[in-house]
Amino acid sequence: MNAIEIRDVTKRFGAVTAVDDLTLSVPAGSVYGFIGPNGSGKTTTLRMIMSIFHPDSGSIRVLGQEHHEAAMDRVGYLPEERGLYRKMKVRDVLRFYGRLKDGDNVNGDVDRWLERLDMAEWADKRVEALSKGMSQKVQFIAAVAHRPELVILDEPFTGLDPVNLDVLQEAVLELRAAGSTVIFSTHDMSTAEAMCDFVFMIFQGRKVLDGTLADVQDRYGTDTIRVRTEGAATPLQGIPGVERLTDRGQLQELRLESGADSQEVLRAIMSRARVTHFELGRPSLHDIFVRIAGPEAEEASDA
Amino acid sequence: MRKALLVAVRDYNAAVRTKGFLIGLLFVPIMFGGVFIVMKLTEGRGDTTDRRIAVVDHTGVVAPALVEAAERRNESEIHDQETGKKVKPAYLMQIVEPRATEMEVQRLELSDKVRAGELFAFLEIGPDVLEPGDEEDGVRIAYHSENPAFDDARQWLVYPINDRIRSLRVAAADLDKDTVDRLTRWMPVEGLGLLSVDEETGEVRGGERDNTAAVLLMPYAMMMLMFVLIMTAVGTLLTAIMEEKSQRIAEVLLGSVRPTQLMTGKLLAAIGVSLTMVSIYLVAGVFVAGQVEASDLIPYEALPWFIVYGLAALFMFGAIALALGSACTDPKESQSLMMPIWFLIVLPMFVWVPVLKDPTGGLATWLSLIPIYTPMIMLIRIASPVTIPAWQPWAGLVGVILFTAISVWTAGRIFRVGILMQGKPPRITEILRWAVRG
Repeated sequence: MNAIEIRDVTKRFGAVTAVDDLTLSVPAGSVYGFIGPNGSGKTTTLRMIMSIFHPDSGSIRVLGQEHHEAAMDRVGYLPEERGLYRKMKVRDVLRFYGRLKDGDNVNGDVDRWLERLDMAEWADKRVEALSKGMSQKVQFIAAVAHRPELVILDEPFTGLDPVNLDVLQEAVLELRAAGSTVIFSTHDMSTAEAMCDFVFMIFQGRKVLDGTLADVQDRYGTDTIRVRTEGAATPLQGIPGVERLTDRGQLQELRLESGADSQEVLRAIMSRARVTHFELGRPSLHDIFVRIAGPEAEEASDA
Repeated sequence: MRKALLVAVRDYNAAVRTKGFLIGLLFVPIMFGGVFIVMKLTEGRGDTTDRRIAVVDHTGVVAPALVEAAERRNESEIHDQETGKKVKPAYLMQIVEPRATEMEVQRLELSDKVRAGELFAFLEIGPDVLEPGDEEDGVRIAYHSENPAFDDARQWLVYPINDRIRSLRVAAADLDKDTVDRLTRWMPVEGLGLLSVDEETGEVRGGERDNTAAVLLMPYAMMMLMFVLIMTAVGTLLTAIMEEKSQRIAEVLLGSVRPTQLMTGKLLAAIGVSLTMVSIYLVAGVFVAGQVEASDLIPYEALPWFIVYGLAALFMFGAIALALGSACTDPKESQSLMMPIWFLIVLPMFVWVPVLKDPTGGLATWLSLIPIYTPMIMLIRIASPVTIPAWQPWAGLVGVILFTAISVWTAGRIFRVGILMQGKPPRITEILRWAVRG
């Protein structure tokens, strides 16, 4: 069963097509990562799933409901632009949000989550006293306290310190373990690689990637060489058979031209520098993202 | 509806439990009762420095009477009767012989003395005031001071001067002063209300002495209460929406409630806050009226209309505030966008006097039938002692209900789009486009 089924959905704002003929299925119980550059249509898609926006054409089923407003109370939503009433106490604001979701027994869940995210001692403090990281945790609780079957998180991990990041990432995986479907958008490709069962990338309103990480990487083949050499990156420029060289500081990433022989390239590198590490592999999600949405791709599309 | 009520309860609590509500509650009586209180407080606290007034009397017979009158006044009128404290300045009359040949020089000298502070003012009584002829100059009584327009001394002088002159004229005509006084007694015209038959006892009532307080104060108070009702609701709504927009709470809420539910909740909360405030005033007003034995001044027959129009006005102006508030991203924008609306709301404040003077006139009638003014203007007309055509309050009500329905519907369409807007504020034309397209 699919938690979400999006069929041929298009949404325009004036002359701008924000989402263009999108079809997407999110299997129940999965963690689905939404990636894409700013302004590519992620938030619009999420808002349409939440029926805050209505598609101009196409259909969206959420938790099996065609008129998915009916399913809204079973969905938890953490928008990208999120806020809390600053003058209210943490526990009160969470109970208010919970009750809006028809969660009449939400009080116990609120307390349990506050405990779980180390926020119990802040429960009776006003929201305005919280730090940014803490209020982000409170907002997360607001999205999940009513035990939703589907959780939609728009950039839930932005701006968190490593400790809080771990806490929230664990919490998301716990939700999946408890049977919820989780969709989150992120700009951090390593998070998406590590956490998601499926990755969906939208670029200029169109779907450009959709599938498991392995599926996505398979499309690009084994075309990436990562080498560590003694000395700087300069000696590796201009090697025949290399389409692009990316300097990652300690590591150099070389993308092979199609048909190029990796052994030839290795020989060329060894003739120029002492190699301490050599790895032939599939491109990272980060690299794939940049290939689709980076300046290089724009040049290609302009040409 | 359950969700709308949840929103309403939260917003209501948030608004009523703030210092702002308490300050607002005190602000209105302070502002409108303030003038009265300040007058009471400063009464008797004016300048009590004695006023030295020179009298240049060309007749030679009026001035001594003024000196006597001033002395009598200084003895009996300038002290508070209970505390004995001096509350008014004493008038010290000083007779100056006129220098007939060089009057201009004398006037100039006296003016310089007033400027120097030696004198407060000087009075010149013309030579022919006892028997006025055709010549204008001789019958003149001139009072010179630095600020003659606002001068209690000048006003006070009018009576003793005329009293003295009349006595002298009566004596000169060889008439008996008492007879003359009786013959020329001035009669006031008393203002009375209309008579009516008491429905219970069948007695003819009324023709009571017209009470200025009832005629002016009650319609005014009614209008002010209506104004407070509207202002409170509009203020509450704008504050709530601005918080949700600037703190980016709106989208979190829209993940749980429909925009119509959110709007309904907000509107109900603001109406609740308004009604709370006005109920406090009403109860306090009735209580105070009871204390000062003025209960019969309260126009109870106008109260049902107040409630009906008040509710309609709350929905009408509340919807307008919601629509505009949702289209703004920060309080400053909302202020400037609301500016024209404020002008519309306060207009009755400028026209209530002419409306009350002639409640059945053209201005009053037409203005009271324009929906946004009906609540305030029609109420003034109903609360006034004049009977207005019975169909007009109903016609006004129909107009108000229709306009309110349109406002709420339009506001709903604007609110849906506006509440999620961030960044640049939309132009009025854009807002109208949202209303049309939805």
